[in-house]
Amino acid sequence: MVKKRRLVLLLIFLFPGALCAESVTNNTALDVIKLIDDMEELYRGDASKAEITMRVETPYYKRSMKMESINLGTEKAFIRILSPKKERGVSTLKIDKEMWNYLPKINKVIKVPPSLMMGSWMGSDFTNDDLVKQTTLTEEYNLELAETDDTYIINLTPRAQTVTVWGRIEYTISRADRIPLSQGFYDDKGDLIRSLVFKDPKMFQGRLIPSVMEMIPLNKEGHKTVIVYDALDFSPSGVNDSIFSLRNLRKRF
Amino acid sequence: MLMWKLAFRNIFRQRRRSILTALSMTGGYVLCVLSFSMTEGSYNNVIKIFTEDHTGDIQIHSEDYLTRPKIHKNIDDNADVERVLNQSEFVRSYTKRVFSPGLAYAGNENTPVKIVGIDPDLESETSRLADKVKQGVYFNNQPNDDGYFTAMIGVSAAASLQLNIGDELILISQGADGSIANDIYIIGAIVGSRSSWDSATVYLPLNAAHDFLSLYGKSHQYALVLNDSADVIAATQSIQAQLPAFSVSPWMVVEETFYKTMQADKEGNLFGLFIIVFIVFIGVLNTVLMSVLERTHEFGVLKAIGSRPATITVMILLETTLLAFLSVVAGIILAIPIIYWFANVGFAMPEPVDVGGIAFQHMKGEFSLEVFLLPLLFILSFAIVVAILPGIRAAKVLPTEAMRG
Amino acid sequence: MMLTYKLALRNIFRNTRRTILTVMLIGFSLAALILTDAVTSGMIKVMVESVTKTISGEAQIHKKGFRENLDIDLYLENSSTIEGQLAADDRVKAYSPRVIAAGMISSSYNVSSGAVYGVDGEQEATVSKLKEAIVEGEYLSDSPTEILIGRPMAELLEIGLGDRIVITLAEADTGELSQALFRVSGVFFFGMREFDENLVFVNIDKAREVVNIDNASHEIALLFHDTDIAASDTQAVLSELNQGDIEALDWRSLFPEITSVLEMSGFSSVIIGAILFLLASLGVINSMFMSIYERIYEFGVAKAIGTKPRQLLQLILFEGFLIALISCAFGIAVGGSLGLYYEINGIPLGEFEFAGVALSNAIPTVLSINQFTHFPIYVILLTLTATLYPARFAAKIVPSEALQKSL
Repeated sequence: MVKKRRLVLLLIFLFPGALCAESVTNNTALDVIKLIDDMEELYRGDASKAEITMRVETPYYKRSMKMESINLGTEKAFIRILSPKKERGVSTLKIDKEMWNYLPKINKVIKVPPSLMMGSWMGSDFTNDDLVKQTTLTEEYNLELAETDDTYIINLTPRAQTVTVWGRIEYTISRADRIPLSQGFYDDKGDLIRSLVFKDPKMFQGRLIPSVMEMIPLNKEGHKTVIVYDALDFSPSGVNDSIFSLRNLRKRF
Repeated sequence: MLMWKLAFRNIFRQRRRSILTALSMTGGYVLCVLSFSMTEGSYNNVIKIFTEDHTGDIQIHSEDYLTRPKIHKNIDDNADVERVLNQSEFVRSYTKRVFSPGLAYAGNENTPVKIVGIDPDLESETSRLADKVKQGVYFNNQPNDDGYFTAMIGVSAAASLQLNIGDELILISQGADGSIANDIYIIGAIVGSRSSWDSATVYLPLNAAHDFLSLYGKSHQYALVLNDSADVIAATQSIQAQLPAFSVSPWMVVEETFYKTMQADKEGNLFGLFIIVFIVFIGVLNTVLMSVLERTHEFGVLKAIGSRPATITVMILLETTLLAFLSVVAGIILAIPIIYWFANVGFAMPEPVDVGGIAFQHMKGEFSLEVFLLPLLFILSFAIVVAILPGIRAAKVLPTEAMRG
Repeated sequence: MMLTYKLALRNIFRNTRRTILTVMLIGFSLAALILTDAVTSGMIKVMVESVTKTISGEAQIHKKGFRENLDIDLYLENSSTIEGQLAADDRVKAYSPRVIAAGMISSSYNVSSGAVYGVDGEQEATVSKLKEAIVEGEYLSDSPTEILIGRPMAELLEIGLGDRIVITLAEADTGELSQALFRVSGVFFFGMREFDENLVFVNIDKAREVVNIDNASHEIALLFHDTDIAASDTQAVLSELNQGDIEALDWRSLFPEITSVLEMSGFSSVIIGAILFLLASLGVINSMFMSIYERIYEFGVAKAIGTKPRQLLQLILFEGFLIALISCAFGIAVGGSLGLYYEINGIPLGEFEFAGVALSNAIPTVLSINQFTHFPIYVILLTLTATLYPARFAAKIVPSEALQKSL
């Protein structure tokens, strides 16, 4: 029962620098590839720290978690759960395509095997796979731009060899603020299967970024995951390679 | 009364013939009894084994948990279920269980397992789990001094993880609230055998399972054992009527494939027996016809002096039935010791056979009134049917022709 | 001799009704035996073939230890060498190498775990029933994105022909994550749950690429020309292959539960047959006695004028023999025609699961030469044996007593 999230949205989740509006060129004749690339360029070399609240709703439970996320480039991420108390200290380390979870109650690091990669991360509508995969959007997708008065709508269709379950991803960006408004994930028939909506833009260290992301699987009633950025730091101190290690993962927190 | 005397005397007029005929009916009877005993016995044995081992006579679930298990399809402790079960006259004991798929880790090994949370006391009264402990000791629901709960594990899982008594076991699964369920347990016992249904199972005390899965005060399944297994259908109906919100399923539904296979096999068996008895009675028909034909003169005389045709028919029917009855009595005497041995000793098969998912190892017979009665009715009915035509024939005899021949 | 024969023949038809009944008695017993054997053979054949011909093949070759956990790292590196051996061996009818890996199967709508089988379409079609099991779409041709999915899994993943499938698994040796995209090209339905719900099939070259093993395979399934798996030739092939860390097993070792069911059936058939004939013999004895009693005056006369006891014995035995022959003809006719009818149409037995194999179709009976040669011989022998007692009785008749009876 897990839906594969398109990588694009995850990269945004983990690498909020991408949402920064400033570095996108302001030409009227829009170079679409550059638009997407610029957004991706923002992740490269970026280090950031974020404090996030994630709310998961299903017909059977509602959960709210606070977590701290540290990122370096696109390859490395370290997420640690701060609350609720029961899960305080549960951490996830991602390096390239590999992922590990640390479970403090049993003091054990579990490497996430491929069979669990399609499993949901922390019970949300995101999968482990979403957090791990990297694609260079412009290399694996064909881009097409449509414009309305206030939005750019970019249609990403996967190339023939691109490994994905989606037939099409529709990326809607606000013209005025240069921030994403929504992403739609479609199957081959053109039905919208998942929808990611960006809301509540706020200023974080001088950058305008949507502080809320809502993920809704449309073929599963009553399911929703909401991510709220409580804080974002684009020039965090002390972020270096040693953080992204199994040793650090195991360290008592 | 006269009829009876006549019938009796007629049978013994042709001793050898009657004896041979009787022998074939006795043989047919004993064969039927043996066959019934074997099928009833083996199946009843197997049913007893799995209902006592873990299935119970009846199971209660929420919605369609039985066919599509999902962690949230559970039964609240405070729902009426326990009250109804406690009051029911049918129920001898019951137990409640929680299930979840999970991953077990130990040392450097890991393997997928089925996690089952049970109440140690209720479980030991309702199923055979306590008897299946191969190593170690049946657990209780108290944590040990270090605060760890004890787990019991099946043979295959223990082998894959290379676990011994006292080792640590890590379980990981998904909680009912979406969190990652994870905890450490100490292995207190290894249960069952490599081929038993629970060889890839880890048992946890119910309270520990609730903790682990964040599923407090709920269960996925109630399994009940009845005072008399024969009441299973009546009990199911009674309990279902009192618990309309839940699914109450008798073992026939729980183990549906096995049940269907068993029915098919029993029917096939019955059919086979029918054929055999049919063949036996061709021989009996031969005898009856012969005996009727050689007494044509006699019947002619009887009719001439005023006997009604019906009387003659009845006499012939009586003869045949009486002979059949005597054969059956002989058959019963022969069969009793054999069936007795069968029911109490039986014979073991070299390799357990899988029938509809349940393993059969022993062929045991059943010793009951039914096993002896049914074939008796069978044989007697055949005897009556076979005697009808000759009987009617005899009754239609014209006295004048008959006395001439 | 001729005289005896003529007399015997004429005697049998003196009481036609009785002869008919006796013939029916013996004949039906024979027919019953033939049919029971045919049904049992049919059931066994269906059971065995559902295992061997559906997917498993009559024998399989693996690396030792592979069968325990389906460890993807235990692959046959020199698979092509083995295949070459098999191709050159004329005892082997067909073989098919397979790459087998457990993984996750995802669609745009849902995800499920399953086993991925990489096969060579042409070779697989010679060994298993995969091609015939296709209910929608097409069988494998050589395109790398083709994938065949079982109907239940297709329903679970909410997909149809042409839809996207992403397979996620761990590569051999490194355990690294590997994913690949496929398009549903065919849907199959074997009618066997374990296969339909869990397996997907792709082209073997693509599978090797995804799992990252060149030219290797995890399993080679074989069929032999000789349908008797116990034949020495077949067994020789297997023992030649069973070297070092390679294991070659026939279906009896791969599926021991079925083997024990077979043994049990064979055992009980013999018992039932024996009992049936015992009972029938009683009827035969009775019948013969009746015929002798009727002629007791005759026999008395015959002996009085000098017929030797031995000749009377012969006569009765001959009568028995002739009855046996006619009965066999009758029994074969009945048993054979019913057997033939059910061989074509199958006996409907409803749903059944035996030794893990679901049998829900009508089972065709299997007629074999044995039934028409061995069984009739047993029948004749048994009838003759049953006739002995009455024959001896006839031979021992005391003329003076016999002549007094005026039956």
